[in-house]
Amino acid sequence: MGIGSLYPDPVQSNQKIREQPYASLLKIQTTKYLIMRNCRHYQIVFWFLALFGFLAPASNAQQVVDSSLLDRISTLEKEVADKKQGDDHFMVAGLATFGFVTNKTTIAGVGSKSNSFPDADHFEFSPLLLWRHGNKFLLEFEPSFDGSTLGVNWADVSWFAAPGFIVRAGYLVLPFGTYSKRLAAGWIDKLPTDPTGVADVPPTTDFGVEIEGGLPLGNMKWSYDVALSNGLQLLPDGQMQSAGFSDNNKNKTVTARLALLPLSNSSLEIGVSGMFGHVGDEGSSFESSKTDMYALDLNYVKLFSPILVNVKGQYNYIHVNDQQYLNPADSSNYSFENTTKTGFAQISLRPTGVTSKWVKNLEVAFRYGNYTTPKASLWGEKTDVTEFGLLYWFSWRTVFKLGYTTSKSNSSTIGLEGVKTVSNSFFAQFAIQL
Amino acid sequence: MKKVSLRYIVPIIWSLLIAAVVYTLPTGCKASQKVAAKTGAQLWAENCQRCHNTPSPSSFSHEQWETIGLHMQSRALLTDAERNKIVDFLKQ
Repeated sequence: MGIGSLYPDPVQSNQKIREQPYASLLKIQTTKYLIMRNCRHYQIVFWFLALFGFLAPASNAQQVVDSSLLDRISTLEKEVADKKQGDDHFMVAGLATFGFVTNKTTIAGVGSKSNSFPDADHFEFSPLLLWRHGNKFLLEFEPSFDGSTLGVNWADVSWFAAPGFIVRAGYLVLPFGTYSKRLAAGWIDKLPTDPTGVADVPPTTDFGVEIEGGLPLGNMKWSYDVALSNGLQLLPDGQMQSAGFSDNNKNKTVTARLALLPLSNSSLEIGVSGMFGHVGDEGSSFESSKTDMYALDLNYVKLFSPILVNVKGQYNYIHVNDQQYLNPADSSNYSFENTTKTGFAQISLRPTGVTSKWVKNLEVAFRYGNYTTPKASLWGEKTDVTEFGLLYWFSWRTVFKLGYTTSKSNSSTIGLEGVKTVSNSFFAQFAIQL
Repeated sequence: MKKVSLRYIVPIIWSLLIAAVVYTLPTGCKASQKVAAKTGAQLWAENCQRCHNTPSPSSFSHEQWETIGLHMQSRALLTDAERNKIVDFLKQ
């Protein structure tokens, strides 16, 4: 239904409103004349004159009211015109986190303490700019300030081409696992830190194109997400970083994730991801190097009244084929099995079903993480991390967290084999969705 | 042995998932009556909390919910029917 059918023609309406008091007045005057001529009863004339005298100011008042009404209608018409729904819409969302951390680290028996207001892992200000063009196109841009640098989390254009078929291009979050794409935001993450290794190993933001969609499957659902991007770059020590805006070789990297939600209430999601591509610089000794990576992710959220149980986990397996690396210490070649494994399992409990408003806003969380990098490399270590968190939700998107983290690391780096590092940290963090 | 099993188990799981999807696509790529009959409120409660707390409908305007609906569809890979019903509910 258009605006025209809701609102009558303003010109005709105004004319009717103006004409109505004059018509009433004319009718009264005519009646008065006829009565005076036929009856000659002065008393009646007197009363009619009195009545006329009473009605005249009332009629003037009516005109004042009518004028006010016309002004109001005119204003409303202008407001409606100003608020006319357009095809485009722009809004700002995003997030901010701020925190405090105190830490004690012991390396090979030698301890040190520190405390600080936010470091890079616990401070972020990331406004998310969203432009919607009709219902088919969405532009997303999220700049991010982490306390030291101003970067970009993602910048892309999505085309909602058909039901269950979305095409995206730009600077993307790759579909490798779910943590980076869905769970990393401070107001979503149940603990103050990212799970060790999972958030940035491998780097999951890249330039490329992507297709994705969610589709029903009877009582179940499934989703697919496939990206083609520049890929990663193998560094001299065997670690990898994003190739960036200009690809370092002619091959493109494929990243894909398939997920199944087998229960009709969508409470369980199981995903499998893979990333495959060449990672060596063209013309370099790493030209033949390529990677194959896999990830398994699980998400289960269910209310067991009165407790909302939230289980999340992800396991990443990252492998680069055999290469000869150069040891900068003595310029000798060496090799190692370049395999990195990292993962986490997390559970959080929130008594959403209790009556106490204060208690139902509390949540407790626990996470175990493991990060194992290649033995006999220059960055080999095995790290176990346990984290406890206590959260208080001020609203659905505003949270204050207290966290305690213990990290135990055993080095397998060349020349540092067996060196143990123990780190204990206490966090206080505030996070909000903007 | 552990390395070998992991490298082969994941592709096998992936292959099974693809096979299941391809097998069911011709006949099963639609919601069951049970799922299709769900209200926007039900879908809002079930899907939003997969990642975060369920948002309050009063948090954003109608136009903003339309925009956020597209953003969240691509993040959570909601079906089109789910997005439409959830956004309609949040706009009430």
